[in-house]
Amino acid sequence: MGYDLNFGWNGAIGQVILGATKAEGGTRNISYRIGGGTTLQFLDGNPASPSPLVALEICDNPEYWSPIIKNYCGDLVHNVHEWAKAAEKVYKADLVRLYLTSTRQRNFSDISAVGKTVESVLSATGLPLIIEGSNEPKIDSDVFLKCGETAKGERLLLGTAEAGRYRSIAAAALAYNHSLIAQSPIDVNLAKQLNILLREIGVQHDHIMIDPYTGALGYGFEYSYSAMERIRFSALKGDTDLAMPVICSAIDSLTIKEVREAEPALQDEIALQWEFYTGIAAAVAGAEIICVRHPKTISMLKNAFTGMRSGAVFSEVK
Amino acid sequence: MALKALDVYKLLPKKNCKECGDPTCLTFAMKLASGKADVDLCPYLDEHAKSVLGATTRPPIRLVKVGVGERSFAVGEEFVLYRHDKTFNHPPGILFKVSDLWTPEEITAVTLRVRDESFTRIGTDLRFNGIAIENTSDSPDTFAQAVATVEESADLPLVLIAKNIEAFNAALIQIGSYQPLIHAATNENFREMSALAKKHSCPLVIKAHGLNDLTGLVKNCVAEGAKKLVMDLCPQSLGDFIITSTAVRQLAITRAVPDLGYPVFIDATHPPLQDAEIALGIVKYASVIITPPLSPASAKAALTLRQNIYTDPQKPIQMNPGLYRVGTPGKDAPVLLTVNFSLTFFTLQGYLESTRIPCFMLIVDTEGLSVLTAVAAGKLNETLVRDSIRKFEVEHEVSHKTLIIPGYSAPLSGRIEEATGWRVMVGPRDAAEIGEYLHEEWKKHES
Repeated sequence: MGYDLNFGWNGAIGQVILGATKAEGGTRNISYRIGGGTTLQFLDGNPASPSPLVALEICDNPEYWSPIIKNYCGDLVHNVHEWAKAAEKVYKADLVRLYLTSTRQRNFSDISAVGKTVESVLSATGLPLIIEGSNEPKIDSDVFLKCGETAKGERLLLGTAEAGRYRSIAAAALAYNHSLIAQSPIDVNLAKQLNILLREIGVQHDHIMIDPYTGALGYGFEYSYSAMERIRFSALKGDTDLAMPVICSAIDSLTIKEVREAEPALQDEIALQWEFYTGIAAAVAGAEIICVRHPKTISMLKNAFTGMRSGAVFSEVK
Repeated sequence: MALKALDVYKLLPKKNCKECGDPTCLTFAMKLASGKADVDLCPYLDEHAKSVLGATTRPPIRLVKVGVGERSFAVGEEFVLYRHDKTFNHPPGILFKVSDLWTPEEITAVTLRVRDESFTRIGTDLRFNGIAIENTSDSPDTFAQAVATVEESADLPLVLIAKNIEAFNAALIQIGSYQPLIHAATNENFREMSALAKKHSCPLVIKAHGLNDLTGLVKNCVAEGAKKLVMDLCPQSLGDFIITSTAVRQLAITRAVPDLGYPVFIDATHPPLQDAEIALGIVKYASVIITPPLSPASAKAALTLRQNIYTDPQKPIQMNPGLYRVGTPGKDAPVLLTVNFSLTFFTLQGYLESTRIPCFMLIVDTEGLSVLTAVAAGKLNETLVRDSIRKFEVEHEVSHKTLIIPGYSAPLSGRIEEATGWRVMVGPRDAAEIGEYLHEEWKKHES
């Protein structure tokens, strides 16, 4: 007897390519085709389907970065070149997500320093890069163009475009053929709206990843979880304006009370379990890139994803 | 497929005996029609009525209760595949597994931990649910002793895991009336296990791999009189669990395969993947999760994920409006306005605590809407702010008249200044930036 497991899905998720190898015109050791699924991740029973990628978040000014990471990584956090190198060689991340936190200082204007930082990180690692620019509309344009130009040909993922603030980043992405992150506040309709706005100014669908905004576990994660599921189902049911791969970054995980106020001996373990449980749940809800800040979370997530991929097919169902 | 309440009513005995727990046969019929009650609750149905009603009126996934008393828990009675379709109803029970080869001290320590440990979040106590005792020794006597050791310390729901019937007999003589979940009936032993479950009226786990074997075993056990079933899908991998559990849920809620309409059991004891198994169990439809005693870190993360996923998405959680203190604020402390959506409150509160600057949070009643939606819907407006300042007597608490409002409510700043006579400072849109804001803007304002 056969069981009909039809969810009414007939759409497919579009693909975004991140990173460019030498043959592809860049300098990365690897490039990724992200997306392309026709069902929820892990539900296709195909061990050959790609697992979600894990990105390590680093920054070029750790002043406001979590003390948990500063303790764990030590002096690395003051040297973005070495930090990026460790992300690949020691921590085995799939991607590096660089936050240009230096640009978030008051009256920042040293745009040439941005270029130097991006160059330094590009030379430190062969992994594809995600770069988070400034937080200040006045310098957005200069910062994003500088990133885009410096990493021309590398197919970056630039972050983060929002409904009120997407033109500078889109201009940089368009000018240098990079992709961008489109973030909306935990709402399937707002996510769609932003993707349409981006399309109208010329950003192609295969250059957009959706960030539905991820609340930390215990602080709204359930909303994000459902937003991810809804975005993915709309896409699988044929809504092409939502058929982009999803990136998830629960950036508050290390600053919420349960983690921040944990007793010192437990703090590291709580931090990574918090990131781990969030990452697993987000991956089954549809996220193709999971960003973490604690280096130890990377191998935990990657091992679990391998186990989740090795699904037996329903071959025993006759 | 589904019958209307009146059609159901025609098949009922119309005695209004109340033995099903409902006041009248008509109210029982209404519950049956909406899938919220089980036909078996009525003792007077003839076989014809049972067969007509059975498959179409019971909840698509039957409710199964484990244990007795205050800590007992019920699982099943789920109706949706995705929580946003409506809500998930019964959070999975998570039970710590002990072996009968452990010393009584070790077993007691775990039992007491489950009995006493609780972790409070957003006003709710989160706890683990019970103890699973495994007959690793293969000796009925050792098993019975381990069960007695657990029973001496706490009245907790139990799962009994054994391979031979003698071990179950030895344990169930002591605690059979406490409705432990017994694990497990297989194709080989289902007659004996079903008889045991029937005799003690215990819920029974059936264990089979593959949907065909599962449905076959369900039919066999039901035919033998065991009705309270839970299904161990025997996943071969994490991926196998996701796929099989999703298939079971989908086929059950659509009533395509009614025999799969029972809660799912997962044995999350495969290091180093047990945390992944627990997380997947929680999000992908497990109702009973067995795990070794968890580290404090895993414990908190698991309980928090369960709370998140089983929160009813139809009801925003609200805070009581009022003036809340962070630390012990003095007369010159900043006053920060925000809405009474609980998530906004707890997020902002967390960041304010980490700034170590004592302050006041003025929480106004936007009926649980977030800042962005409350501004858009006009719920957050200058009148509400003015009235809240008066009602909560903010002017008695501070010696200044400066109010920090959320970044997303910036368009209201002028109107709030006019209505209240307070000076308004527009804070950041993201609560994460409040520390920096207070250290820079508020300090500057003070000097």
